[in-house]
Amino acid sequence: MKLKQCIFIMMILLFVTAFSAYSKEDIPTADNSAFKHPQRPAAVFDHDEHNEKANLEDDCSYCHHVYENKKLIKDESSEGSSCSECHPLKSSLKNAIPLRTAFHKRCKECHFKSDKGPVLCGECHVKKAR
Amino acid sequence: MHSFIHFIMGPMVWISFMIFFFGVIFRFLKMFKLINEKEIFIYTYMSLKYSFRSIFAWLIPFLPVSTRKSPVFYSISYIFHLLLFLVPVCLLSHVLLIEESVQWSWFAFNDSVSDTLTLVIIFSLIFFMVRRIVVPEVKFLTKPSDFIFILIVGLPFVTGFLAFHQFFAYRWLVIAHVLSGELMLILIPFTRFSHMFMAPFTRAYTGSEFGSVRHAKDW
Ligand code: HEC
Ligand code: HEC
Ligand code: HEC
Ligand code: HEC
Ligand code: HEM
Ligand code: HEM
Repeated sequence: MKLKQCIFIMMILLFVTAFSAYSKEDIPTADNSAFKHPQRPAAVFDHDEHNEKANLEDDCSYCHHVYENKKLIKDESSEGSSCSECHPLKSSLKNAIPLRTAFHKRCKECHFKSDKGPVLCGECHVKKAR
Repeated sequence: MHSFIHFIMGPMVWISFMIFFFGVIFRFLKMFKLINEKEIFIYTYMSLKYSFRSIFAWLIPFLPVSTRKSPVFYSISYIFHLLLFLVPVCLLSHVLLIEESVQWSWFAFNDSVSDTLTLVIIFSLIFFMVRRIVVPEVKFLTKPSDFIFILIVGLPFVTGFLAFHQFFAYRWLVIAHVLSGELMLILIPFTRFSHMFMAPFTRAYTGSEFGSVRHAKDW
């Protein structure tokens, strides 16, 4: 290989590492401590700011819902309990929606519908620079 | 943008699988039609026993003599073909997307495992390319389409790897990844990819000929 080509490839490598190493400020994330061995960085989610931007402030029960006998109870909310209190890690008879799916379904469905907000893995599970 | 992403990650996946599936059936029908027209006599010595004998013999690493003559190439080839199926099928993000759309799920590797195995696949493909440039006997038989074939196989892996690491242009890399994956699925039945289905039949044919006509082993 010629010297020029070597230098060119080195430049690209440098460029790529520089790109991936620039540091981001600390963004609030959804708590992922309920997962035993999290595979991905916790998802970026600034609760209050998000709900303000997405006009969800009057509708806490859209996410913090209450079910009784598998039926959604309208106008009741469960913001005192976290999703993992009702959604198990693996789907069970008591609750067929595993925790991971609960998050993904709730978040992505609306983003697709409203044509706003992140929908791809890495747009929520943003890798942070060390 | 969202509706485009929704389309390529939703309906387009099923369309690609349908084309793949029906393409395979079409290729099989065409192959049998060709045999019936031109070489109907091979049925006189096709034998299930010798067919499977040959297929299984060739599935055992390093049983066939020719595989022992180029151990490096065949080791890499075995590992490559194994991972080619294993990694995408047991990839967490694939399993998760399938689970969320049809409620089936199965075992998935940890991300760090798939990430390493993806690198192994990419390096095997580079090896196949280099072999076609460097080894004179192989170079002699190489057509440009052989390189395009390797590139098409490599693209979903390279873009998937780059996207996973979120190096740059994340959204575009995922779009490129999904489209190249679908392109590969659509092309498998209609291009040289079909060696996937033809290989067992070639073995069955050669196995039967060697077994029932020449009374010999073909490995
Ligand atoms: C977009 C969905 C969404 C909406 C709408 C929403 N929340 Fe939340 N909220 C979450 C998520 C996700 C968590 C993190 C829960 C977890 O980790 O299990 C959370 C956590 C909380 C917590 C902390 C609970 C805990 O266990 O620590 C409180 C309190 C809360 N939300 C209140 C509210 C109120 C009040 C509203 C209405 C103004 C609201 N939320 C609307 C998604 C939402
Ligand atoms: C009080 C218990 C409880 C809490 C807390 C709870 N869920 Fe649920 N959720 C349920 C039950 C029960 C179901 C119905 C499961 C079934 O059909 O088997 C359900 C269903 C769902 C569904 C699928 C149904 C649909 O509407 O599409 C999603 C998505 C979901 N939950 C997301 C969440 C998220 C996100 C949180 C946390 C912000 C949360 N849930 C908190 C009990 C709860
Ligand atoms: C009912 C609809 C809805 C639900 C449910 C929802 N989002 Fe959103 N989200 C939006 C909308 C609308 C925006 C765009 C807001 C804007 O920037 O105008 C958004 C934007 C975002 C952004 C980008 C914020 C920014 O500042 O650019 C993130 C991250 C996000 N959502 C995460 C989540 C997560 C995580 C969940 C699930 C716990 C969730 N969203 C559930 C509607 C929703
Ligand atoms: C709209 C935002 C959003 C998108 C898009 C999204 N996720 Fe998540 N994901 C979450 C949230 C919120 C959680 C729950 C807690 C957390 O990880 O912060 C979660 C949890 C997970 C978990 C379980 C926790 C862990 O780290 O092991 C996995 C695995 C996961 N996501 C993988 C993926 C993959 C793969 C994709 C792409 C196919 C994806 N996610 C896309 C928001 C998202
Ligand atoms: C058909 C539609 C396909 C879709 C919707 C799809 C979707 C995805 C998604 C969302 C990711 C994760 C990206 C990230 O983590 O940010 C991914 C990764 C990956 N995909 Fe696909 N994919 C498809 C086809 C394929 C095919 C056909 C192959 C290979 C044969 C493939 C191989 C991979 C690999 C190897 C990775 C991960 C790389 C790593 O972890 O290092 N995909 N895919
Ligand atoms: C069970 C299915 C398959 C079988 C039995 C099979 C068999 C083979 C065989 C016998 C070779 C020849 C090695 C040689 O050149 O001597 C080969 C090479 C190869 N196969 Fe497969 N294959 C299968 C599936 C696939 C699939 C699905 C792909 C890609 C999507 C693929 C990609 C390749 C590549 C890239 C090479 C190397 C070609 C080269 O050297 O240029 N194979 N395979």
